[in-house]
This record gives sequence, C-alpha cells and structure tokens, in this order.
Amino acid sequence: MTGAVTHEGVPLVAYLAVSGILFLLGLLGVMIRRNPLLLFLAVELMLNSANLALVGFSRYWNTTEGHVFALIVMVVAAAEVVIGLGLVVAVFRQRMALDVDQMSTMKG
Amino acid sequence: MAALAWIVLGLPLLGCILLALWPGEPDRRITRVVGVGMPVIAFVLTVIVFAIMVGRDAGERGEVTTLWTWVRSAGLDIDLALLVDPLSVLMMLIITGVGSLIVLYSAEYMEHDRDYRRFFAEMNFFLFAMLLLVEAANFFFLIVGWGLVGLASYLLIGYYYDRPSAVAAAKKAFVVNVIGDIGMIIAAFLLVRELGTLDYLQVFATAPDGLGQGSGAAEAVAVLLFVGAAAKSAQIPLHTWLPDAMEGPTPVSALIHAATMVTAGVYLIVRTNVLYELAPYASDLVAITGGVTLLVAATIALVQEDIKRVLAWSTVSQIGYMIMGAGLGAYGSSMFHLLTHAFFKACLFLAVGIAIHALSGEQSLDRMGGLRRHLRLTHAAVLVGCLAIAGIPPFSGFFSKDEILAHALDAGALGVALAVVGLVGAGLTTFYMFRLLFRAFWGPEPDGGYAHTPHNPSWVMSAPVAILAGLTAVAGLLQVPGAWHPLENWLEPDLFADPGLEASVSGEVIVGVASVVLAIAAIGLAWWIFVADPDRRTRLAPALPAARQLLADQYRFDDVIEDAVVQPGRDLGDSLTGRVERYGVQGSIEGAVASVVCAARGLSVLQTGLIRSYVFAMVAGVAIIGVVFALAVR
Repeated sequence: MTGAVTHEGVPLVAYLAVSGILFLLGLLGVMIRRNPLLLFLAVELMLNSANLALVGFSRYWNTTEGHVFALIVMVVAAAEVVIGLGLVVAVFRQRMALDVDQMSTMKG
Repeated sequence: MAALAWIVLGLPLLGCILLALWPGEPDRRITRVVGVGMPVIAFVLTVIVFAIMVGRDAGERGEVTTLWTWVRSAGLDIDLALLVDPLSVLMMLIITGVGSLIVLYSAEYMEHDRDYRRFFAEMNFFLFAMLLLVEAANFFFLIVGWGLVGLASYLLIGYYYDRPSAVAAAKKAFVVNVIGDIGMIIAAFLLVRELGTLDYLQVFATAPDGLGQGSGAAEAVAVLLFVGAAAKSAQIPLHTWLPDAMEGPTPVSALIHAATMVTAGVYLIVRTNVLYELAPYASDLVAITGGVTLLVAATIALVQEDIKRVLAWSTVSQIGYMIMGAGLGAYGSSMFHLLTHAFFKACLFLAVGIAIHALSGEQSLDRMGGLRRHLRLTHAAVLVGCLAIAGIPPFSGFFSKDEILAHALDAGALGVALAVVGLVGAGLTTFYMFRLLFRAFWGPEPDGGYAHTPHNPSWVMSAPVAILAGLTAVAGLLQVPGAWHPLENWLEPDLFADPGLEASVSGEVIVGVASVVLAIAAIGLAWWIFVADPDRRTRLAPALPAARQLLADQYRFDDVIEDAVVQPGRDLGDSLTGRVERYGVQGSIEGAVASVVCAARGLSVLQTGLIRSYVFAMVAGVAIIGVVFALAVR
C-alpha cells in the first residue's frame, strides 16, 4: 500500500518524507543553534512537520481527527511562541547576550 | 441504699468539676460552700447508708449495684459496679467523715493561699477517687481508684509547684506508687487467667477451688497485690515517698498521707483476705514487712527535727502495725487500728497544723517551744493524740494496738516475735511522740521568743481538731477485749475466711500490762530528757553520733535506692542516648540521608544548564529506546 500512487495525486509516503526531513532539520537546528530566536524557529519547524504528518495520515484514512489535531497543535504552538518570545525579550532587557549556552545558571 | 452509694461517690466529683470549671475566679465563699459542702453532704448520706445497713440482717448487708456493663468480651465481663457492704461502708464513713472535718479546717488554713479554688477542687477529686477505691465491686475499678488517688496525691503533694522540693517529692510519690500499680495490674491479669473474672464476690467464691490452698498462683497473686499495698501504704522498701510527701499543705498530709489514702493497702489486704488465707507464705511476708517497717520507722522518727516528718514516720510505723496485723490474719483488729489511727493521726496533724499556721509556716522543732501557753486547745488535742498513740488507757490506741499485739501473741512463733517487735515499737512510739509534745509545747520558748505571738484560730480550725480529739479519746471503747467487739461483728460478713485466730485473755493481759508499763517508762524518759532539765538534751546530744547519723539519714534507704535503682536506670538511659540512639537510630537515618545527598550530588553533574545537551540526551534516549524496541519486535 505504501508508495502506491492514488488517483487523487500525492502519495502518503511523500508527505511522510517531507515531514521527516522537516523534523530532522528542526531537531538539528535545536541542537546546533545558540540564538534563542532561531531555537524557537527550529521548534516551530518540528511542530509543523508533525502537523504535516497528521494531515497526511488523516487524508490517507479519510478521517477528520488529524485535521482537528493539527489545528490544536497550531494553537498551542502560537501560545508557546508568545511565551517564548516574552522570555527572550525579558532576557534581552537584562542586557544578556542572546546565547542559550550562556543562560546556564540552572545547573547542578 | 445502692442509689445513695452512687450519690456519695458522685458528690465530690461534682464538687471538683464545679470548682474546676467555674468561669473566672469564683468568690471564696462559693469555693468554700462547694468545696466543704459536697463532702459534708456525702458524709450525711453515708451515715444514712450505714443506718439502713444496720437495720438489716448480718447476711443481707452486702449489695452489688451495677450501673452498666463496661466491657463484655469472651471470658471477661467488667461492670461499672459498686459493692456496698460493711467493710466499704466503714471505709466510706472514715473517708467522708474525717474528710469533711479536714476540708472544713482547710477553709481557714488555706485562706492566705492564692490557689484557694484549685486546692478544694483537688481535695474533692481525691475524695471521689478514694471513694471509688473502697466502693468498687471488682478489681478493675479498684485499680482505677488506686491510680486516681495516686494522681490526687501527686497533685496535692506538688501543690506548691513553685517549690522545687515539692515538685520532686510529688514526682517521687507518683513513681513509687506506679510500681505498686504495676504489681496490682499483674495480679489482676493472673486472676483473669486463673479464674476468668475480676468481680470480688466471684473471685472470693471461686478462689479456694480455682487457685487452691497454698498454690503458686495464690501466693503470686497475694504477693503482687501486696506490692501495690506496700507502695500505697509506704511499707519497706517502698516507703521513702511518704516523709517527702510532707511537702504538701498540712490538711493534705492529714487527709491523704495519714488518715485515708495510705491505709488503702490495709483495706486491700482485708478486702482480699480470702486470697491471703490461701497464701500462707505471702501472709507471712506481709506480716514480717509490717513488723520491720514499724520498728524501722519508729527509730527514724526518734531524731527527726521537722515536726511534720516526725508525724510522717509515725504514720509509716502505725501502718506497719496494721499491715502486720492483716498479715497475721487479725483483719478486724487491723481495721480497728485503721479507724482509731485515722482519728488520732488526723487530730495530731491538724493540731500541729494550727501550731505551724500560728508560727507562719515554721516546722522545725528547734524553733518551737512553750506553745502550750499560747495554744491551749491545740496543746490539749496533741496531748490526747499522744496519749492515744502511746496506748495509755482509756484512749483509743491502747485498745486497737494492743488487740493487734494480742492476736500476734497467739499466732505461733512468728507472731510472738512480731509481738515483741511491736511492743518495742510501741515504746519508741511513745518516746518520739512525747519528745514532739515536750519540745514543741512544753519547755522554754526558742531563743529570742516568737516574732509574733502565736494566735489561736477561729472555730473553723478549732472545731475539727476538737471533734477529732474527742473521737480519739473515746473511739477505743468501740472494742473492749473480753466485753464487746461490735466492729469485728460488723465486719464478720466480709471476713470470708475464718483464720480461727482468737486472742486469748492471757495474751490480752500480758500485752496490755507490758505496753502500758513501756509507755509510762518512755513518757518518763522523755520528760527526764526534755522537760526536767532542758540542758540535758544538749548534753546528751553528742552521744552515739554514728547511730544518730544513721537515723538522721533514715538508714540511707534513699541512697541505696539511688545507687541500686535510680543510678543504673540513669546509666542505662545515658548509654541508650549516647550509643544506641546516637549510632543506631540517629546514625542509620543520618547514613541514609548522607547517601541520598551523595548520590544526588553525583547525579547533579548531569544537570549542566545547557539546553542543547539536554536535547542531545533526549534524542539519544529516544534513539536507544527505538533500537531496543526494534530489536525486541524482531
């Protein structure tokens, strides 16, 4: 079944491939970048890759749950970005460098 | 009759609750009315109970009245029940009668005390506890009453709680009494195991078959009960608390530590006379303990300088007579001596209390003297009390003490030996009592005279002393050997076991003549030393320094107990805190804490604060789990 080209167009495997690539890019971004803004960008990328997979599956099984769930994820992501950017601004106001490696006071 | 017994028991409790819960500080008149009124009403009702009982046939005088069943379990029922019979009514009459006189006396004696209300609340509480002790119909409530009088005694000895010596004395009394409580509780366990009941009448009915004459169980129960009796009645070696208990106010000494509570041990032995008849060795132990105690206490009393301590040692000695009599099977005589002792010792304590009160709390014999010129009535009362305790006819002590000794003479070799001890003790008793009388009331006034002229009290204090002095003078006529003995007849239904001990006429005559001769000789000696020539005392004082010191140290019982019991206990406690607690308990906990802290410190290295390293760890973890699952599925 996987990889089969349906008459409706793009096969599921393509969605999943793009989703997987996007997720890996996001993960690498989180692991490599040090600027918190870019970190958020990378996290958003991962969330959206998950959304893409959800929508892809939803369409494949002809159900609506995946769509609904993707919408909820977007709402949560928006809220998360609001808080995250608020934190970034607060950190910036403290005249600290925008570098997550230097924000390491919470350690054992 | 049964309902009245409950009311008698409840009235002092009501008085205690009223006084304790009265909002704010009640007016002294209210305190007086409640605190004195309740015991007096209880006494009147007791007299009515007594009158009803006199009207009945001897066989129908005992009555058990049950309020409710308190415990019902397999093999053991415990009722909240009272046993009203000749013995308990006799005790109730003594407790409420002497108790009423003493609380009346306290109304004036304690007048200058700021805790007036607490005093009367605690006195009423004591009367309730003591009545519960003597009215209980089973061993369970006997032990409850036994414990509660111990508590009341503790509270009242420590009445002046800002005096460290009073607090220490209260603690000592409580601890020693708890030793006795433990003995009684174990005795009760044994009774439940052997007979399956704690009810007096059932125990007494089944004991001869259930325990058996002279059996180990009977001896054990009797000895364990005697541990309780000895602790409460201050018998050697559990006697050291009573002289210290004189730290309490004088009315407390008179009521609790002379007339009633300390004689509870005698009551207990007489009450359980069936068990003692089954246990001859335990009875001998009781008699010997009583004999030793009476002699030891009488010798210690010879050298005491504190007037109340003389009386305290005298109490220990007199209870020794009662215990000795009870051990020899002369239960009626013991109760007779208990009755007369309650009168003459309460009389002496209250009269001496007047002297102490008049001298603003002075208790040392050295700073007394010549008081008879100031306190005539008190002097007369003390003289009557001394004559009674010395056994000069026709005062009460002559009849009651001699009856015990006469019974002892007929009780075999041991009895004869104890009778001789008792006679010697009687001579010593006469000497130390007249020493007290002569030094405090006769002779010269102390150097420099009195700061204030000793004042006579009002009728509130004089009347109880006068009444008790009157009773002291005549109570002995209740039983005249060879003529009549109503008290013994009265107690007959309670003396289940007949020891077959009847004082012979020759014994009565021998004891009577010997004790009177001894008493007169002792009075003469005391007069020769203390009155005839006041300087003779100072000249004789250095004689026999070692013996005097030994007596002044009270045979070093306190030191021996300190070394043999208290110090090992303290050492055990120290080693437990220092070693077991420090390394065993505390150490294991500290070790556990330290290891957790150590582990946490090691693990906390992983918390770097670097988000990227966390992410890497998470990804690595997920990857490992994925690999494991993948391998597992395959």
